Amino acid sequence: MNIQDNYLKNKKNIFFSENKDIQTYREKLINIFENDRLDKKNNESLKNINLKNFIDFKYKYLIPEETSVINNNQENSYSIVSVNGQCSSFKDDKIEITTIVDEDYNDFSKNNTIEKNDHFVNLNSLFLNSGFKIVIKKNNNIKIKISNIITDDNLTIFQKNNYICEEGSSLNLIEEYENKNNSSSNILNVIKLQKNSQLNHFLIQDNSPNHNLIITTHSSCKKDSTYTQKVYNFSEGYVRNFHYSELIEANSEADLQGIFFLKDNNTSNNKTFVRHLAEDCKSNQVYKGILNGRSKATYFSNTHVDQVAQKTEGYQLSKGILLSDNASYFSKPELKIYADDVKCSHGSTIGPIDENAIFYLRSRGMSKIAATKILISSFINEELSSIDNEQMSEIIQKKLVRYLSNVK
Amino acid sequence: MFLEIKDLSVKIENKNILKSLNLNINKGEVHAIMGPNGSGKSTLANVLAGKEDYEILNGRINFKDNDLFDLNIEERAQEGMFLAFQYPVEIPGVNITPFLHSAINSKRKRMNEEEIDNLSFAKLLKSKASDLGINIDMLKRSVNTGFSGGEKKRYEILQMSILNPDLAILDETDSGLDIDALKIVTDGVNKLKTKNNSFLIITHYQKLLDYIKPDYVHVMVNGSIVKSGGSEIAAEIEKDGFQKFQ
Repeated sequence: MNIQDNYLKNKKNIFFSENKDIQTYREKLINIFENDRLDKKNNESLKNINLKNFIDFKYKYLIPEETSVINNNQENSYSIVSVNGQCSSFKDDKIEITTIVDEDYNDFSKNNTIEKNDHFVNLNSLFLNSGFKIVIKKNNNIKIKISNIITDDNLTIFQKNNYICEEGSSLNLIEEYENKNNSSSNILNVIKLQKNSQLNHFLIQDNSPNHNLIITTHSSCKKDSTYTQKVYNFSEGYVRNFHYSELIEANSEADLQGIFFLKDNNTSNNKTFVRHLAEDCKSNQVYKGILNGRSKATYFSNTHVDQVAQKTEGYQLSKGILLSDNASYFSKPELKIYADDVKCSHGSTIGPIDENAIFYLRSRGMSKIAATKILISSFINEELSSIDNEQMSEIIQKKLVRYLSNVK
Repeated sequence: MFLEIKDLSVKIENKNILKSLNLNINKGEVHAIMGPNGSGKSTLANVLAGKEDYEILNGRINFKDNDLFDLNIEERAQEGMFLAFQYPVEIPGVNITPFLHSAINSKRKRMNEEEIDNLSFAKLLKSKASDLGINIDMLKRSVNTGFSGGEKKRYEILQMSILNPDLAILDETDSGLDIDALKIVTDGVNKLKTKNNSFLIITHYQKLLDYIKPDYVHVMVNGSIVKSGGSEIAAEIEKDGFQKFQ
């Protein structure tokens, strides 16, 4: 079944399908798919992807109704179980959670400039069937943990979440994706940071081999705001992490980091893109990968500095360790600079584990396997030791130990 | 015999490096190997430690009644062999203290000795570091990372004193050391010398042998030992160079 057939078949169940403007926009998207013919050679969003999994999806549309849970465990701390992409409404004096409405959808779609060629964002916009909006109110300091659960096999979730951090607010957000059933998620997080706000966003991905996860973030930062994102991908299923950030007002920052741990025949596609649109902004894009078996990964990083964005500081780094001759990692850092007073750099190193270091450690009595494991841990030591949340640190350490137990 | 190298020939990437090399070391002896650049000294050290890049063409090596070629790299270390590297590898992210603790316990485990606990190890490390003039703060750092040349060599000797090997191979430990650092490093070696352990010291210069007195000096040229004798050979080399041995 092609995209148009799928769309027409499920149209009545897709979010906002009665809204004429949205309908027109979706018809345009269908035309893009038809005209572009999904050009795998020239479109980064399609590289190394088995498109069949995503185009001919079984669209089981009626998402089962489940109750999501919100607990205000401690002061300023919330935990949410989002079931099949949905979350029940909640409101207090610090946060407000609602289901997304037409307005939230349009707000992103009309302003969607940097992801317009990203077919998975377009698929999300086309088939949207779930999502929520969270607003952190002015000057509040909040912690939220979201467990994203899918309850059923053969379910395809197209979810769009909006996060708004109002002026002076701070959000520490931990998202867990740990699905074991045969399903797919295409999630788009749209994040807006108002003046002087801050969001520390952790994503822990640990899905089983039969779950596909496509997650995209679009963050925009106003004056003096900071968006920090740390992705830990331990999934055995396919994961696509594409994260876009726009620094739209002065003195704002985006820090996009990720680590992926791959084995067997797994594939992970990663992309970070930061667009500097104002002066005195900083960005950091750092991804590290450990690949075993016949696993494959890609990482595209991109810093775009607009001509008004003087005094920009932009840093990109990609590092990979290949534990097997059959594993592969393709990395492409890019800089596009249109301002003249900037400091930008990029670097990429991919290779097998350092044999001289292995020899050194073994010459002190450590076994080859212990030496390999200690070198893998040291490769990501900086990222792991910088986790200042004890609970998060424990979770990541446990998953790392599990991954290392399969390294022979 | 503690270490017996018999008729050893080794090549790497189609180049013969060691050619029918013979060397015997008894318990309690200090041997020095001197030779010009490219004579195969470091290759010998690496082959003894078990580096896998080399192809053994001929010969055998016995160490403490073991056929050395039956032991892998870590088993050789656990049996009491130690190589102080000419160029110690920097390993960012691997902290010195737990690494050394793990190394000493892997050796004790093989010897069926009780493992050393955290507290006892911390005391041992602190005391050995103090003997070598190593600042305690350095022990909080990653292995060899950001160390100066002298610090790296001192740290090699610290590891040696903690692991207390039966046979220590010092591969040009004097290179890159100023005179004060050389004294500290050689003092550390001399403190470790007993009648039960042996040393194989590889160097270009006599200077190191002024501080560590060898029982035997061997001249190595073009992959073979061409002359053996006492300390007088080192003095001869210092005066006339290696030319006459080639």
